Amino acid sequence: MSSTRDTGATAPTPELAADTLLSVRNLKTYFFSREGTTKAVDGVSFDVKQGEILGIAGESGCGKTVTSLSIMRILPKSGKIVSGKILFNYDNQTTDLAAADPESREMRSIRGKEISMIFQEPMTAFSPVHTIGNQIIETIRIHQPVSKEEAREQAIEMLRRAGMPSPTRNIDQYTFNLSGGMRQRAMVALALSCQPKLLLADEPTTAVDVTIQAQMLNLLRDIQAELGMAIVMITHDLAVIAELTDRVMIMYLGKEVEYGTVEDVFYRSQHPYTRGLLGSIPKLAPGRVEIDPIEGSVPSVYEMPTGCKFHPRCPHYMPGVCEKRDPPLIEIAPGHAVRCYLYGGKEALE
Amino acid sequence: MLRFISRRLLLMVPTLIIVSLIGFILIQAPPGDFVTSYVAALEAQGDIIDQDLIDGLRARFGLGQPLYIQYWRWASNFVQGNFGYSMGLRQPVADIIKARLPASFAITLLSMILVYAIAIPIGVLSATKQYSIVDYTFTVIGFLGVATPNFLLALVGLWVIYLSTGKAAMGLYSSPQMQNAPFTLAKVLDLLNHLWLPALITGMAGTAGLIRTMRANLLDELPKPYVTVARARGVGRVKLLYKYPLRIAINPVISTIGYTLPALLEGEVLVSIVLGLPTLAPVLLNALLQQDMLLASSVIMIEAVLVLVGTLISDILLAIVDPRIRGSI
Repeated sequence: MSSTRDTGATAPTPELAADTLLSVRNLKTYFFSREGTTKAVDGVSFDVKQGEILGIAGESGCGKTVTSLSIMRILPKSGKIVSGKILFNYDNQTTDLAAADPESREMRSIRGKEISMIFQEPMTAFSPVHTIGNQIIETIRIHQPVSKEEAREQAIEMLRRAGMPSPTRNIDQYTFNLSGGMRQRAMVALALSCQPKLLLADEPTTAVDVTIQAQMLNLLRDIQAELGMAIVMITHDLAVIAELTDRVMIMYLGKEVEYGTVEDVFYRSQHPYTRGLLGSIPKLAPGRVEIDPIEGSVPSVYEMPTGCKFHPRCPHYMPGVCEKRDPPLIEIAPGHAVRCYLYGGKEALE
Repeated sequence: MLRFISRRLLLMVPTLIIVSLIGFILIQAPPGDFVTSYVAALEAQGDIIDQDLIDGLRARFGLGQPLYIQYWRWASNFVQGNFGYSMGLRQPVADIIKARLPASFAITLLSMILVYAIAIPIGVLSATKQYSIVDYTFTVIGFLGVATPNFLLALVGLWVIYLSTGKAAMGLYSSPQMQNAPFTLAKVLDLLNHLWLPALITGMAGTAGLIRTMRANLLDELPKPYVTVARARGVGRVKLLYKYPLRIAINPVISTIGYTLPALLEGEVLVSIVLGLPTLAPVLLNALLQQDMLLASSVIMIEAVLVLVGTLISDILLAIVDPRIRGSI
């Protein structure tokens, strides 16, 4: 049975398995400007199961944030989803978000209710001239037919759950009244105010200091266990991923290069880029600190390498192979896939 | 808030004293005094003035006395509400101000309303449709508005209205009978009919400038994270504009009220002369030329009070709309 809603899509939307919440398939999001086209996301695919925590890791500029903005359909004006599908399971139906009109009633009812997002900078994520309560209550009332008083009760409850010290007072405060950690908690309360099925957490621990980072991770884990939602944890901090997630996807220049369980990717990493990324973490050995960084730097967006985009920096570069065509994703073990010619796929080049 | 307002009101006293001192000294600064320019004007007409008359005039107006005594006499009378006597117009200063202040005030107020009513929507439109044909059109009109002198606009306005209606858009009323009639609806309508042109012309440069300010402020706010976050929460398009970025972008616009007011009062001078309007500005200009001290000083003081009140109003409004400012006062 086809389940296309009125999203303007012509092709029937494929049905997702019931245990899959979100399936991003070959998503391409480009930015168009006078200087040229930036392929911020260039054919990324991944699934999020109901209630799981997926980590997406990579250097800045690899397309992590653009991927989440694409899912929410809140890209800036110059950004456009060029192709691909974003299949989302809700209300017992599968909807292709990539085909929906970003300003449609349906998309607006998904944003904030079914899928919500935690942003990197809690200071600037709230309007400075409205109280945090005003913005949380507004969100609740957009998505639920409740009175102002009820919405306020719910907002206070959410602030309490997010660990705000005195929710009844904090609700009427402005961001400039709050400390960094409290702002981040308010941001969590805002994102969870309608109990979404999917939470996109974009670098939620980057702007806060280490002690608060640990508190935030515990908070997210507790709330996830309590509400049973799925979380996509987007970060460049591999320690956060190891700490919190079930599965992880490593992105490089708009594409996934390796994915699998945390154990697969961290202890049995295969892709040269994943290994490089792990080698870049300082290791505390007695007497000295070892760092083994990746050679070179991320290429300019206007001069993308051909073939495998990592080949100019790769220690295992195979001339005549890697620069020819982008390697396919190869499943080397159940649930563990790598995009690299070292593990096969060369046949297709002949 | 009450403490803030009372503190600001108290601060106005020293400010006004300084303004009055500087004003008084500057009016006196050119060589000669009122009698010199009066005698020069009479002699130009061929009259012969004898020295006794000149000395008599000087003594009558106290012009021979040292400056600080003259200042003290004027200032102490002024605070008691006695504005003195205009030597040039041979009328009590209070009567002149009473007759002309309402027209000045009406034009300034109307032109402020026009400035904001025109500039804010156009600024918002220009920002939301940045680099579109609409944006470019208003940018060009805006630059023309800033660059065109007011008196030229007034002349062009007169000419256009004369061509299209055959009437001269001069003065405040269409006929002398109307001027002396009691304030009825017909009279108010007639007044408005004559006020909109000077108000529009006076406000032209301000409007053009404010469009640019509004556009730039909104363009600064639109890409801010809190707008993206609001979108991510499911806030609709219209509310996304007026509840969040517009609310913050309007702050600097509110703070312009303080300096728009004096700019409009000044801008009104040439427009009033060209359109023959009985406002304060031309009177002030003549009083300064003739060194009619009491009149000039009093008008300057009244305008200074208006400017200070305007600034205070804009500060209070800012504190009302922006909690960050409210917290710091």
